[in-house]
Amino acid sequence: MIEIKDLHKSYKMGSNSLHVLKGINFKVEEGELVAIMGSSGSGKSTLLNILGMLDGADSGEYTLDGVPIKNLSETKAAQYRNKFLGFIFQSFNLINYKSALENVALPLYYQKVPRKERQEKAMQYLEKVGLKPWAHHLPSELSGGQKQRVAIARAMAAEPKVLLADEPTGALDSKTSYEVMDLIQQINDEGNTILVVTHEEDIAHMCKRIVHLKDGVIVEDKKIEQVKAAQYV
Amino acid sequence: MFDRDVWQEIFNTIKTNKLRTFLTGFSVGWAIFILVMLLASVNGMQNGFLGQFNDDATNTIFIRPGTTSKAYGGFEAGRRIQLKNEDLEYVKQSFADDIEYLSARYYANVTARYKSETGSYNVQATHPDHQAIEKTLIMSGRYFNEADLINKAKVVVIGRKVAEDLFKKEDPLGKFVELNNLSFRVIGVFTDDGDDNAERGIYAPVSTYQRIYGNTNNINVIALTYNPTYDLAKALEFSGKLEDVMKRRHKIDPEDQAGLYVWNYAEAFDNISSFTAVLRGIGIGVGFLILVAGIVGIGNIMVFTIKERTKEIGVRKALGARPRQIINLVLLESIFITTLSGFIGLVFAWVILAAVGPMFQTPAFSNPSVNASTVITATIILIVAGVLAGLIPAMKAANVKPIVALSDK
Ligand SMILES: Nc1ncnc2c1ncn2[C@@H]1O[C@H](COP(=O)(O)OP(=O)(O)OP(=O)(O)O)[C@@H](O)[C@H]1O
Ligand SMILES: [Mg+2]
Repeated sequence: MIEIKDLHKSYKMGSNSLHVLKGINFKVEEGELVAIMGSSGSGKSTLLNILGMLDGADSGEYTLDGVPIKNLSETKAAQYRNKFLGFIFQSFNLINYKSALENVALPLYYQKVPRKERQEKAMQYLEKVGLKPWAHHLPSELSGGQKQRVAIARAMAAEPKVLLADEPTGALDSKTSYEVMDLIQQINDEGNTILVVTHEEDIAHMCKRIVHLKDGVIVEDKKIEQVKAAQYV
Repeated sequence: MFDRDVWQEIFNTIKTNKLRTFLTGFSVGWAIFILVMLLASVNGMQNGFLGQFNDDATNTIFIRPGTTSKAYGGFEAGRRIQLKNEDLEYVKQSFADDIEYLSARYYANVTARYKSETGSYNVQATHPDHQAIEKTLIMSGRYFNEADLINKAKVVVIGRKVAEDLFKKEDPLGKFVELNNLSFRVIGVFTDDGDDNAERGIYAPVSTYQRIYGNTNNINVIALTYNPTYDLAKALEFSGKLEDVMKRRHKIDPEDQAGLYVWNYAEAFDNISSFTAVLRGIGIGVGFLILVAGIVGIGNIMVFTIKERTKEIGVRKALGARPRQIINLVLLESIFITTLSGFIGLVFAWVILAAVGPMFQTPAFSNPSVNASTVITATIILIVAGVLAGLIPAMKAANVKPIVALSDK
């Protein structure tokens, strides 16, 4: 599903440049649930941004579902993001003046799905994350866990090939974190490919594979026994 | 294009920036108010002009001979052109369908005497049709007719002022007045609203005067009105044809403007139209300049809100919004705010004009009003203004990098 070869990335800051990713080689198959770990500043977010086509690499190859990702125009990148990728953010990034339902429907809007259809579909996904009764509430009326579930529903609504989550539980307490992980595991069990950046060991162990980043290279990449989050909920 | 998402967006911007939106909206509304007032004033001027012209028949054409300024057809330049009765006949034959009324004018200066009163006046010797061409209003008696023309009757129709000067309190009808010592019977008195000068004139049959002046068949001017169903274009075409034909007949270079004038009211209308078009253009220009403040204001608010919403725009991009869609959204927002504010100004101007406009009824300025073309002009200007105001913010928005949405700093 995802294949990267010898990926390099550095940030220029004035006269000196900071080499953040120093040759990443990495492959993710369809249906995997991968945790990306590493200390702060190790380049986890940078890697995820590049995978999400939100940023470009300096060198190296990136193939997503067989499509080489290189020198994309803004418009093309937007199209690919819409079609291939779903994003889940640490701070949810819901649009505050839109109801839960409208937030979930937004990616479908950019897919030019007709209004009625996108409302129906958005409602299905809200139901899936257990928030149907909250469909018409604004984000400010929801708890952190509920917001993240709305964000997950939104990421799922466009039926992307890969879900990218940058510290999805970073702003949540442990109980809510497990609820969110339970949801992510369910989505993964349906065959979706998911990458989760996290600091927390317990969250990482709820994935099926852990990749360790250190100083811009992968220092460890192992398959693990998945801990089901459902037992803590 | 105009679905729920777009409207939500727009109302959210307005809601979060109520005061600022109101203030800049006000400056746009004010500019449009002034623009509409200016355009309405131009309309008022035009109405005034046209009202004045309506006094005379507006489908009038005069053919006046002159002196050639170019050599042509074997003739030297400087030849005086003289119109004759045959020219009138020729015009009548050639343009039977185009002509409504047709008359010659033969000018004479006379000293008029009645009893002990004397005065010097201009006589216009014409055909009976001239009454309709000049819209001469008969106060008492009648205008001369075909019979008078054929009989070369020594009858005159005198202006109201002439009657006052010569006849004092007496009724002039049926009395005899001496013009250059020849006796004429007064058969009518005419008036001309608002033009005392015209009322110091005397009309007589052209045949009578031509006989007095040695049986001449010279005439000074041919006056006519064309078919009143003609529109401006057709009227101009007709007078052009008339000019060509008459110039050919008198062997005048078609380019020679001095040899023969064909003066057409329609052309004067054309001139007024282009004059008011210039004024209208100036009005639009001035209105637009005032609007610039509003444009800058709205652009400013929007740059500000886009800065505040950088994150949201980043999220939208991460969700698959294309740059074009972001630009459209911002432009629509800007056009909406400007157009809405502008229409409020327009409605204000409209209401004020509807209340006050009918009070203006002077000759040069009458009933200034908002018409469809003013509304269309204002709308186009507002949309242009909206696009201009939204341009910089839209570009800023399109340049937002989606990474900012991901960086939770
Ligand atoms: N836009 C940028 N410009 C310059 N430097 C950057 C930029 N983004 C990240 N960096 C730097 O690159 C390095 C890697 O950053 P990155 O955000 O990928 O780390 P991370 O592993 O996600 O850390 P954290 O766990 O704190 O989120 C850091 O040193 C950071 O300061
Ligand atoms: Mg990070």
